[in-house]
Amino acid sequence: MLVAVLLIAAMGLVNLYSATYAGGASTTTVFIRQLFFFLAGLSFIMIIHLFDYRLLLTWNYILYGIAVCLLLASLLLGSNIAGTQRWINLGFFRLQPSEPAKLMLVISLASYYYRKDTGRGFTIGQLLIPMALTGLFFILVLMQPDLGTALMFAGIFISMTLFVKLKWSTIGIIFGGCSAVIPIGWQFFLKPYQKQRIMTFLSPESDPTNSGYHIMQSKIAVGSGLKFGKGYLKGTQGHLHFLPERHTDFAFSVWAEEWGFAGSLFFLAVYFFMILWGLNVCLASRDKFGVLLAFGIVSLIFWQAIINLLMVMGFLPVVGIPLPLFSYGGSSLMTTLIGIGLLMNIRMRRNQVRKN
Amino acid sequence: MQSPKETLTKLRKVDAEELNQLKKRTDAATLVIIFFIAVILARLWFLQIHYGSKYKDKADNNRVRMLDVVASRGNVLDRKGRTIITNRPNFNIVWVKEDSPNPDEIIKKLSRILNEEIAVLLKRVREAAENPRHIPILLQEDIDWKTLVYIENNHYDLPGVRIEVLPRRDYLYEDFGSHMIGYLGQINLKELEEKNSANYQGGDQIGKRGLEKLYEDELRGEKGTMYMEVDAHGFEQRQLKGKETLPGNDLQLTIDMDLQLEAEKAMAGKAGAVVAMDVKSGRLLVFASAPPLHLEDFVGGISTKNWQALLGNIKRPLVHKTIQGQYPPGSTYKIVTALAGLSKGVITPNTVFYCSGSMKFGNRRYGCWKEGGHGPVSLHRALAESCDVYFYQVGLKIGVDSLAEYANRMGLGHKTGIDFEYEKSGLIPTSAWKKLAKGVSWQDGETLSIAIGQGFNLVTPLQVCQMTVALANGGILYKPFLVEKIIDPEGQIIREFEPIVDVELIGMDKYLELIRDGLVGAVNDRHGTGKEAQLKDVTVAGKTGTAQVVSMKKFQETDEEDVAYKHKDHAWFTSFAPAENPEIAVTVLVEHGGHGGSAAAPIAKKVLARYFAQKTELETNKAKENQNVLQ
Repeated sequence: MLVAVLLIAAMGLVNLYSATYAGGASTTTVFIRQLFFFLAGLSFIMIIHLFDYRLLLTWNYILYGIAVCLLLASLLLGSNIAGTQRWINLGFFRLQPSEPAKLMLVISLASYYYRKDTGRGFTIGQLLIPMALTGLFFILVLMQPDLGTALMFAGIFISMTLFVKLKWSTIGIIFGGCSAVIPIGWQFFLKPYQKQRIMTFLSPESDPTNSGYHIMQSKIAVGSGLKFGKGYLKGTQGHLHFLPERHTDFAFSVWAEEWGFAGSLFFLAVYFFMILWGLNVCLASRDKFGVLLAFGIVSLIFWQAIINLLMVMGFLPVVGIPLPLFSYGGSSLMTTLIGIGLLMNIRMRRNQVRKN
Repeated sequence: MQSPKETLTKLRKVDAEELNQLKKRTDAATLVIIFFIAVILARLWFLQIHYGSKYKDKADNNRVRMLDVVASRGNVLDRKGRTIITNRPNFNIVWVKEDSPNPDEIIKKLSRILNEEIAVLLKRVREAAENPRHIPILLQEDIDWKTLVYIENNHYDLPGVRIEVLPRRDYLYEDFGSHMIGYLGQINLKELEEKNSANYQGGDQIGKRGLEKLYEDELRGEKGTMYMEVDAHGFEQRQLKGKETLPGNDLQLTIDMDLQLEAEKAMAGKAGAVVAMDVKSGRLLVFASAPPLHLEDFVGGISTKNWQALLGNIKRPLVHKTIQGQYPPGSTYKIVTALAGLSKGVITPNTVFYCSGSMKFGNRRYGCWKEGGHGPVSLHRALAESCDVYFYQVGLKIGVDSLAEYANRMGLGHKTGIDFEYEKSGLIPTSAWKKLAKGVSWQDGETLSIAIGQGFNLVTPLQVCQMTVALANGGILYKPFLVEKIIDPEGQIIREFEPIVDVELIGMDKYLELIRDGLVGAVNDRHGTGKEAQLKDVTVAGKTGTAQVVSMKKFQETDEEDVAYKHKDHAWFTSFAPAENPEIAVTVLVEHGGHGGSAAAPIAKKVLARYFAQKTELETNKAKENQNVLQ
């Protein structure tokens, strides 16, 4: 397991070096920062092993509170980058609170569902609290504005809720509600640029210079990789700055361009091995909280990866979702590594329950 | 509140039934994961393997931009190889809209930097709206150094904005020979269709008039291509191999720069033409039309305001007067009348007519320009003093149609065939022509007018010069030409132009000799009409002419000054020198200049003086060199 994680992160670092490679000084700082966060994350994994994950059951509301505070702080004093307020400047690095918040949401939902689970399925009334928990994050992040992460919260909520047992009536009400809410949301809540992103997704070629540009360029980068790629450090799309955000959201484009179909296949094999292993942890856990927590973390990583990959390949609109472990970004990397630490923790203690 | 310990121990276990259910759910989740893996793999396959080559091409196009490089246009040289026109670098501001993430802001910034109104810049952008997006839009031409440096230094703030260096015509002697040289302009659709498409594209400059147009194919050279690797902001990263440009060929003219400059200086402020030709070849040494065109105004397209000013100018700068200006020949035509008279045997050198100052014909009196009369005149004096009555008599005896025959033989009334655009043929009337054109029979009285070059007669200055050349060289009508040779960029002569004899008049030399003698008298005799053209060391022969314009048309100008100007006669002077062994012929026409003797002859004199001064200088230099060699 750890091997897979190390492998993915190593590929990410190698790729990051290429993506930012231009002979400039900033190259190395980005690379070294990511390396630092990776090593810090690994030590976190060790620390996480020291205590029982089940302690989170008692801490979950505190953690949730911290996450809300951080999100509020980012809105109030956050530094404004590219028109969004996603970061809190901590001096040595800028924290993106929406990243740990994803994990906090997973923990909170797992705790709630664990406590209320009666085995007979959840009614719609019982779902109100998890909805509120998710909704608060959703709104706070949407105000930054960061539609991608906000939808991510919704995704986590939906996956975890579907995982626990629901009454059929509940499912019906949710579906009905959603189909009513979506058009209204489109009309009143989405900002014009967010609407435009979705519109251009539907026909990216219509506007190759503006919104469709990222998708076009990314597709060109991926496609031009052919079977074996252009060779490390030889990708032209990335190095000549045609690819936007090539070290963050579009890191995989650079990888696919330089390593081709073969390299991408290898990467995906390792990545999905890791995810399936995570799912296996979920099955191996002998207590319901562990199961829910593991499933939440897996779905968190999985959905981000899927959305990112589909976006890079031009199947989804451009939303700011990184590829966990692979894209540059300290907050995301740390969150993912902590999540993986928790998974390992759950796996390590899978037999302790029986003993008690 | 439970203690942590309690929480841990009380943690609910997963029972068998739940485990079963859990299995089902994780299996479902696994299915979801596998589904997405399949989607991603399929997509990856399509992008990288199936359509991979397509994207590869796109990636290459993305980073490599093909740029056309305009070749440096050929130079124009004078007959001694001195450069008249060359090229200089011209720095233009161009903008690739595709490369600008925020076009409005760029335009705003540029407006400030270029000190140009936003509306003007936007207009240029709109005009180019139909071009592909990656084709640069020209925003401002020929920017100064300060702006250039500023933009170069700030180019990271101005994505998509580039500086394009294009060769631009550099007129070393300003408006030198402007009508002859012509100008360049932006290629239009028709020209684009006619020309070789590989070497031309929209927005290119092409010769529109004059030599620039006639020798476009020689001057243009061949376009090159440059492949430039660029990044997404349009910044050039490095240059890849491309095709070198091939500079255009140089044109060496027959024109003598010194003489042309002298003529243009003498014509300053006047309207008219000066033509000088080498008597033994038909090489044009001076080919000047006044007033000149200001060629710089035409670079990059002339403004409507300037164009209107040119159209409205009473001195008609747009007319190339050497070949397009048609004027009654006035007394210069007496050369033709004399030749016809001698050839037909109507007169001999000794035939004398009495001039009383006028001559009665029918019920009208035809006056001589000298009211007191010349008394008894023979051919020599008639030409030297330009006696009208003498030529009335000769004209009457020959008749209009024979006169026309000799005029035609001397090259009048039809195009000289010079390799140039829009030449006019002039008009030499015959009785048949009048019947056809006016529907009325020829009146003998009209023959009198024709005999002294008035009436329907129309000639161009080039025709008169060609006639003078034939007179001087004993009857050879050379086809006038302007280009001596075409030289490729390596200095190799690729084409040389030889004199072409158009017509050779046989058996007329003795008559021409008599006329030449009369023309020497006109310049050198005590009462000669062309005395103003006299030179100290060289015998000049010439004929004055004063062409009346008043009776011909009604003028619509209301401006009195304009009317006065337009009523004045055209002044002619045509000459050759040295009389004994002619080398050069010079013809001058000054529109509404008044008398030929006073308005045109001095101009011809200046050109001739310059020509012979140059020759003496050359000879003294040679003599010095020889001396040096001997020593």
